[in-house]
Amino acid sequence: MALVWYELSLLLRSHRWIGPAVLFVLGVFGLGGATLRHGAGLSPGLAWSALVLVPVEAWLTRSMLTAEPAASRACVAAAGGPRRTQLAALIAPAVVGAAFGLVGIVWQVFRLGVPRAAGTNAIRVGELFADLGGGLAAGLVCLLVGSAVAVLLNPPVIKRSATAVLGTTGAVVLALAWNGSPANAAVRSIGYAGQERTWPAGVAMAAALGLVAVAWTISIQIAARRDG
Amino acid sequence: MRLDNVAKRYGFTLPWVIHDVTLEIPAGLLVRFEGKNGSGKSTLLRVIAGVSEPSRGSVTGRPVTGYVPERFPPALPFRARDYLSHIGRIHGLTGRRLASAIDACLDRLSGRELAGVPLRNMSKGMSQKVAVAQALLPGGGLLVLDEAWTGLDVEAKAALDEAVAERLADGGSVVFVDHEPGRLGHLEAERWRLDAAHASRVRSDDSAAGETRGSEQRPGPEDTQ
Repeated sequence: MALVWYELSLLLRSHRWIGPAVLFVLGVFGLGGATLRHGAGLSPGLAWSALVLVPVEAWLTRSMLTAEPAASRACVAAAGGPRRTQLAALIAPAVVGAAFGLVGIVWQVFRLGVPRAAGTNAIRVGELFADLGGGLAAGLVCLLVGSAVAVLLNPPVIKRSATAVLGTTGAVVLALAWNGSPANAAVRSIGYAGQERTWPAGVAMAAALGLVAVAWTISIQIAARRDG
Repeated sequence: MRLDNVAKRYGFTLPWVIHDVTLEIPAGLLVRFEGKNGSGKSTLLRVIAGVSEPSRGSVTGRPVTGYVPERFPPALPFRARDYLSHIGRIHGLTGRRLASAIDACLDRLSGRELAGVPLRNMSKGMSQKVAVAQALLPGGGLLVLDEAWTGLDVEAKAALDEAVAERLADGGSVVFVDHEPGRLGHLEAERWRLDAAHASRVRSDDSAAGETRGSEQRPGPEDTQ
């Protein structure tokens, strides 16, 4: 906990979260507002918020992984162990991304309204929970995919900045657009743009969890052995 | 704690930086590593401090560890006290114990006025005091000093010498590297020389180069136990 709190403080105090936050605000509040119509239901809005999380989480993760000078990381690793320290540095941006995701969900509910029965205007609670559950799950998948992509393509796995930035950008575009990507599948499964489903939501979630497990393990393994 | 056949390299195709180092660091022992630039001293200290895992071999029984790196970066977005609080909490200190440990470490280095200074605004000497303070925070166990004296003023250097002596007297152990040959000369130290990635012990009656030998054959007090 102390390690996560340290990494979180480092990320927040370094102001490196501001870029991703601006991207999120532009994506969800700006672009999202322009592309979605009222009356289309809550799900497309939640899907859009989830989708925006992929680049936002990737950027947050890269910010965290490049925030700490090697020598101060060494001091922290001596105190907390190199593996646990790296794990904390991977958890911290996920916490920030999750906070963004929740803000996005609240905003979509506020903007698009809750599903109501025709005529009586009563809230259709079952449908609301189904929508919210789907939105949360899609958001989580997108968060995990954004994290995994950035972890695999940034320090300590990829050290050169040019390669890391280009690779991360390319991978994020792929994660959003390729219909084999869990993020893409999760978003489609809750009905964004009304396209046909690719994978069931559960498969997308399992794929995202698997991807994160692999990416985080590789990153921690390298961090525990690296030189500087 | 002990190191068994520890070897380290930073890539499969790269040469070994340290190779087959076996040594024991019992409580109360002061160990000095010597060697040319690039002989692997810093790497060995990082492995001993637990900052980096060895590529081969094992490190066992490491106590609570404070580590002072060769260069401490001031580029962190914290004030000194906030930074020290974070490190203290990672060591498991909380509340009043944490506050008093921070005060004690800063006072010892006459750095109390640094508490509110952002690390970004610090000179080399000031940030070095913070680097030493964070390593002293746990107040026991192993202290690993990689040229920790560099950049400190005369009083702070003396204070660090004193902290080392105290740590040893309290049953902790200290491992260090310093370019100053007389550093901590007043304390009894086990000296090791790193050469061509191998470590060999320098006997006290032989201040020149120690004989290089495999650690398995190394006669030492711990082998006779």
